[in-house]
Amino acid sequence: MSTISTASPAAAPHGGHTADENYLNCSRGFLSWILTLDHKRIGVMYTVSVLVSFLVGGIFALLVRTELLTPGPTITDSAETYNQWFTLHGAIMVFLVIIPSIPAALGNFILPIMLGAKDVAFPRLNLFSYYLWIAGAVLAVTSLLMGGFDTGWTFYTPYSTTTTAGGVIPVVVGVFILGFSSIFTGMNFIVTIHKLRPPGMTWFRMPLFLWALYATALMQVLATPVLAITLALLVVERSLNIGIFNPDMGGDPVLFQHFFWFYSHPAVYIMIVPAMGIISELIAVHSHRHIFGYKFIAFSSIAIAMFSFLVWGHHMFLSGQSGLMNVMFSFISFSVGIPSAVKIFNWLSTLYKGTISLNTPMLYALAFLFLFTIGGLTGMHLATLSTDVHLHDTYFVVAHFHYVMMGSALIAMVGGLHHWWPKITGRMYDEKLGMIACGFVFVGFNVTFFTQFMLGSQGMPRRYYDYAAEFQTYHVVSTIGSYIMATGFFMTAGYLLHSLFHGRKAPANPWGGRSLEWQCASPPPHFNFDETPAVGDCYDFSVVKWDPKQQGYYVDRSADPEIAKAEAERGHMHM
Amino acid sequence: MTMLDSIPTMLATLAAAAPAESAPSPAGFWMPVGASTVAGDVDFTMDFINWVCGFFLLLVTVLMVIFVVKFRAKPGDAIRMGGPVHHTGLELTWTIIPGILSMAFFWFGFKGYLDMQTVPKNSFDVNVTAMKWAWNFKYPNGAQSEDLYVPAGRPVRLILRASDVLHSCYIPAFRVKKDCVPGRTTNIWFQCDFPTGLDVDAAHALRCAEYCGTGHSNMNRKVYVLVQEDFDNWVTKQANWLDEVPDSELSSIAGPKLYARCAQCHSLDGTPGIGPTWKGLWDRVNGGAGSDGKFTDGKGYKDIIGPGKEFETPEAYIEDSIWNPGKHVVAPFGNVMPTFKGQVNQRGAEAIIGMMKSLDQFDAKGKPIAK
Repeated sequence: MSTISTASPAAAPHGGHTADENYLNCSRGFLSWILTLDHKRIGVMYTVSVLVSFLVGGIFALLVRTELLTPGPTITDSAETYNQWFTLHGAIMVFLVIIPSIPAALGNFILPIMLGAKDVAFPRLNLFSYYLWIAGAVLAVTSLLMGGFDTGWTFYTPYSTTTTAGGVIPVVVGVFILGFSSIFTGMNFIVTIHKLRPPGMTWFRMPLFLWALYATALMQVLATPVLAITLALLVVERSLNIGIFNPDMGGDPVLFQHFFWFYSHPAVYIMIVPAMGIISELIAVHSHRHIFGYKFIAFSSIAIAMFSFLVWGHHMFLSGQSGLMNVMFSFISFSVGIPSAVKIFNWLSTLYKGTISLNTPMLYALAFLFLFTIGGLTGMHLATLSTDVHLHDTYFVVAHFHYVMMGSALIAMVGGLHHWWPKITGRMYDEKLGMIACGFVFVGFNVTFFTQFMLGSQGMPRRYYDYAAEFQTYHVVSTIGSYIMATGFFMTAGYLLHSLFHGRKAPANPWGGRSLEWQCASPPPHFNFDETPAVGDCYDFSVVKWDPKQQGYYVDRSADPEIAKAEAERGHMHM
Repeated sequence: MTMLDSIPTMLATLAAAAPAESAPSPAGFWMPVGASTVAGDVDFTMDFINWVCGFFLLLVTVLMVIFVVKFRAKPGDAIRMGGPVHHTGLELTWTIIPGILSMAFFWFGFKGYLDMQTVPKNSFDVNVTAMKWAWNFKYPNGAQSEDLYVPAGRPVRLILRASDVLHSCYIPAFRVKKDCVPGRTTNIWFQCDFPTGLDVDAAHALRCAEYCGTGHSNMNRKVYVLVQEDFDNWVTKQANWLDEVPDSELSSIAGPKLYARCAQCHSLDGTPGIGPTWKGLWDRVNGGAGSDGKFTDGKGYKDIIGPGKEFETPEAYIEDSIWNPGKHVVAPFGNVMPTFKGQVNQRGAEAIIGMMKSLDQFDAKGKPIAK
């Protein structure tokens, strides 16, 4: 019988084969990184880039919150400057941080290892995706040097085609290119999951993180081209004065909104579905308990991916589109809520009779459950037509999507980062500091954004530089919350960086996971596995044993008859 | 009739049992003052969703806390292998119950929305034009205003247009909002039974809810609800105000009143703004210093103003700039100004030009300096 240890794993496992060579030290030098085809190094480069962008986007968020401490001018007396801040905050967080954060950063690192593969199906395409991301980011910076942009992250026409801010075209081209980065990553993941699964891993033996990445990849490939076309049309209208969206030239601004949300609503799920995949892993592994309702969780990811294409019109209830369309979009929008509810209850049931290790990744998973429940439930107010009329374009919407995009997607990303940190870096971070920082983030987040629900339902529209005095108390509370949250994130950055140099060496399997990434060394060797290992049920933790010598867990592969069966089938195939 | 079918009926009975309101509903924790005929229904739906969602949030949180406390791993604990991993009954339960509840939400929202969409036949129509960054309300008798004035106790329809970019007309107290879309006409209607009089503190807020640039948060105006008789008096007076100003005082009385609309972008004392300052403007267009100032198309004032040129007189040029501001844009400013055609007539333009010619008689805010 395996047992639980809450003692921190101490020394790394020495011995074993090729003990100290791993993907980090197998080759050296700057070029060995920027020209690497190794999915793990690309994943690390993505992670670093995304976290740097998160810092920049976060600084803009703090500037916005600080400006809103008082009505009228607080730290800038220019509404244009404020408009640029919130636009940059939104555009950076959506296009440079959240969309690539889980699939491109963590997914790139974990997906091939979970499959027991040596790399993704198309390693060169993978590196190309990364450079497209870099090109998009560089163009965004260029746009700042050309006068910035103040369109909001949604680029609504005709404002975006007529504003005098000089940086609109470079940033739109940048987002266009980022879209291709996203499409290529999605294609790569679809092919990898189809073709490179190990013996024994049928579709319903896949870790749920892979199901989530698969559903995400489908959406990336199907939806992102529409964004690309839309942005191309926008550039054509702005630079060549060809009327597509501007009524002065015979266009229709509502058409832009249809195009934009046809991508950007699925994009919301491109952000949240991989987060749900992480949460499935976190809750199962740290509860040491078979995930409850595997098939329902897997299918609900696919259901969300499908429904997400049918509900874009709920962003446009007040745009002047027909009342009948509003009624239909309202009706279909509720359908997305149901698979999300199914997931929440399945995760909750996984906790039941589990053996729950309350550590940092688990705390983030629990925070996710609470925050995502609020984020999901407040979607009800907005899908309901009569209440949406009042709440549309107010801070209620701002609060709602921050609960989903930040409180859920980014919190899951941070939880996943902690979960796989020992695997990625080979080091353990300080668990106690991790839990304290998670507390700061959780409390700060709720203080910041729960307040904004009231702010919105009381009638404060979004994207306001100046506001009525009656709203000030809410704004002050919200801003204080953002400082608490920032404290938590800076602490996190501090102890994670510290662990790189001074952290204890991590064992191969510090948490007791049993998917394949926990069955190779931490950090993994350059080619992950010498031979693709066969797998059984990746949520059957009965074969996970504690090894006091290594202060870590190991998967007793001989104890699982399914693995033996899969191995035998492979032998058969080889014959 | 099943139990579930009867719930909407029961709730409707409860709602109908409430006495007709004699005053606006006061601001609560969630919703602000509610002063229109649809506010009660919207707030009821909001409350209903809040209670249901509150229940589920509590359920999820309490179960989560109980499970975490009860099944927390202690050092030396054996891994529990006991719990079930699948239960079709439970899966169906938490698929079907949220499904039914969301259909209930849909139904209430749908019914409320039908009421908001169906404009009563006898509505009083106001034409609304949203522009960067002001509102223009135009009444059937030709009167115009920057704040909205409506009669109490009868349906009012706002016919919404935008002259430049997207805006959105939002009156929180009436629970109505709709985008103003360039090139399209949209509308909203409401009925408010509670007069506010001309008291600025009692009047309701009207805000722009769709981002429209620099002055987005300054598009805040008031909604005054007047008893019919007061409204009739107000709207008659408002229609004729410009004609009633004596010709001799056109620039000193009507000028500053009209300038209030221009003040967001055009300063009087040389302060840089979104548009050119009016200080020295008359000299520039009249051939004085700076008259070779360049437009974005490279031309100067001298090239377009003068006998035989595009504009015979400087007055004609200024007048045309009010009505067709995009025709000649002064560098380095952007083509931002909306047209005031239909809002400022010939006489209004005369008042503005008169004010430009005699700027030394006004202070920086546009107030006439007492002699």
